[in-house]
Amino acid sequence: MNQAKIEKLVSRLRYNVGSKPRKLKNVDGPEGRLRKIKKTLTAVIKYERIELNYARADETRGYVERLISEALRHGPEHGETMELANFWIKEKQLVHKLFKVLVPRYQNYTTSFTKLHNAPCIYPGYAYKRAILELKGNIYPTVEQSNPHQHNLLHNILLDAARKEYRMEKYKEIAANMNF
Amino acid sequence: MFIPGTVFNVISRSVSTSTVCNQIIKLTRLRVVDNSEIGKAAMMEGKPPRCIHVYNKTGVGYIGDRVLVAIKGEKKKGILVGLKQRQNPKVPRFDSNNIVLIDDSGTPLGTRIHVPIPHILRTIMRRNTHSKGADYTKLLAIATKFV
Amino acid sequence: MTMVSRLWCRKARQNLAFAKVLGKEPKTFSTLVQLKTDEATDNNNDSQAQTNDELIKSPSLGNYRLVYPEFLPDPNPLYRNSIREKLERMDMLNRRSVLSIPEFYVGSILAVTYSDPHAVGKINKFVGICILREGCGLRSSFLLRNVVNGEGVEVRYDLYDPAIQNIDCLRLEKRLDDELLYLRDAPLEYSTFPFDMEIEAKISESVPVNDIKIPLNPLPWSQRWERLNLKGVKEIVVNERRQKKAAALAKPWEKYDLMKTYRETIPEEEQNEIFSDVYTKLNELEIQKNILKRKYMLQRQNSSKTRTS
Repeated sequence: MNQAKIEKLVSRLRYNVGSKPRKLKNVDGPEGRLRKIKKTLTAVIKYERIELNYARADETRGYVERLISEALRHGPEHGETMELANFWIKEKQLVHKLFKVLVPRYQNYTTSFTKLHNAPCIYPGYAYKRAILELKGNIYPTVEQSNPHQHNLLHNILLDAARKEYRMEKYKEIAANMNF
Repeated sequence: MFIPGTVFNVISRSVSTSTVCNQIIKLTRLRVVDNSEIGKAAMMEGKPPRCIHVYNKTGVGYIGDRVLVAIKGEKKKGILVGLKQRQNPKVPRFDSNNIVLIDDSGTPLGTRIHVPIPHILRTIMRRNTHSKGADYTKLLAIATKFV
Repeated sequence: MTMVSRLWCRKARQNLAFAKVLGKEPKTFSTLVQLKTDEATDNNNDSQAQTNDELIKSPSLGNYRLVYPEFLPDPNPLYRNSIREKLERMDMLNRRSVLSIPEFYVGSILAVTYSDPHAVGKINKFVGICILREGCGLRSSFLLRNVVNGEGVEVRYDLYDPAIQNIDCLRLEKRLDDELLYLRDAPLEYSTFPFDMEIEAKISESVPVNDIKIPLNPLPWSQRWERLNLKGVKEIVVNERRQKKAAALAKPWEKYDLMKTYRETIPEEEQNEIFSDVYTKLNELEIQKNILKRKYMLQRQNSSKTRTS
């Protein structure tokens, strides 16, 4: 049983964090892992929605969430946070985006700042699981497609009831017109 | 530079090349902490005694265990009175592996121990002493300080 | 089981009462950003400013994580169990209500009196500098180091050991590092403290940091200190090979690894939950401790006056 580290105070992330970090196989070890995540994180902040392999997306998600929560917590005047932003975001103008666009956007959020969707593997192709990682509140149309034929949707329930009523009327009519 | 084999052997005896091992096993260097003649002379010469046998069934010495040491070309028995390795809570850990030299009947060779001795050694020494065997409690009488 | 549930009910009622108080004063949980806004509003309102001052004086929950680190559980989710943590916290509070455990940090000098079945009077006392604090919950322990008769001695104590009779913090201070294990390889005078030391009479607002820099003995050492990036050690001199090895093994990127720090810490919201659970009891105990401390100081002043006259 180890003692928790107490020097730094962090905000809780609003998604289920995995218990162990993924290694993200590469030749440079842990340093290379961070470099891979850095690329993806910069892309997420730049394009706000990207499609990539699931493992890397899930791993990057935590870093994006943490960076935004640190920016929310301390603001741009805090030296350490600025250093973190400079380390993680490879393009300088995106640091401004983080503090001037994303921080106001997520000021009053009570949910996570990012969303991870499962994406299909297009056949034939690699068998790796694909995913879509996006920042919430972006300008693109939603990825999720609602199924209009779901039984529990209101209009389907109403249509079912109307059909049933119509059928009952029809049966009555047939019964009345029957001649024995 | 060429060093003759015999000279090299003599030099290498005082230079320790083995890695640090906090466990007391065979060939561990120990520190004599009483004022017995042989112990003092060995420590002054910079040739601390080596453990050549541990009198228990595991071969690893813990606090209060009896060991056989090679000291100045002689074989002597000693009792471990302080260890460097991690101890249980409330049992002190020391900066060196200390022994007190004893003879076969349990009588210490020296008359004074100049480092602190853990209190738990009282219980262990009493437990190890049997009415007809060696009397190890004499060691406690020559201790100057208990921690 | 019924006993446990009954106890919980009582605890829960207490916590509810506390939660009401918190609802009125959300500033106790305020983060840095919120504090700034608070200050701005306080300039307009005098009465509010007063309450804020009181809050700063009283130990806020943000301070609790430094004073009571053992109340925070192990962040590794493998070892988390909310029921066990809760029961452990209750046990810790019960122990603290019997034995007053002072505030101390790594680098403070402590005196521990404990019952020892092996000692002559069945009571033993050890004084030393705290060089390590580890573990959490009921398993938390600390390591004291001192030099006795020219021999370095270290004793590990469990903080909630029922055999401990008294813990006194003789000198309350912090050092520059989280662990002072390098004192093992430093000259002995840096870890020598007299056994008859008295409690230092200092009531200061913040805990002083002793920024002493300690020289190390020449090699060999028990650990490769040059790799650990120590702040409390005078310049470490090693040969070129070891320097190169240390440089190769350095991990300068680790401080940027956001998820690593997250997985090693307990998030603030969770800390607030934990400490609001134990706040009322700990606060009561702290007040009692302060009263006792002041009494002790007064007694000592009086006795010194009578001695001089």
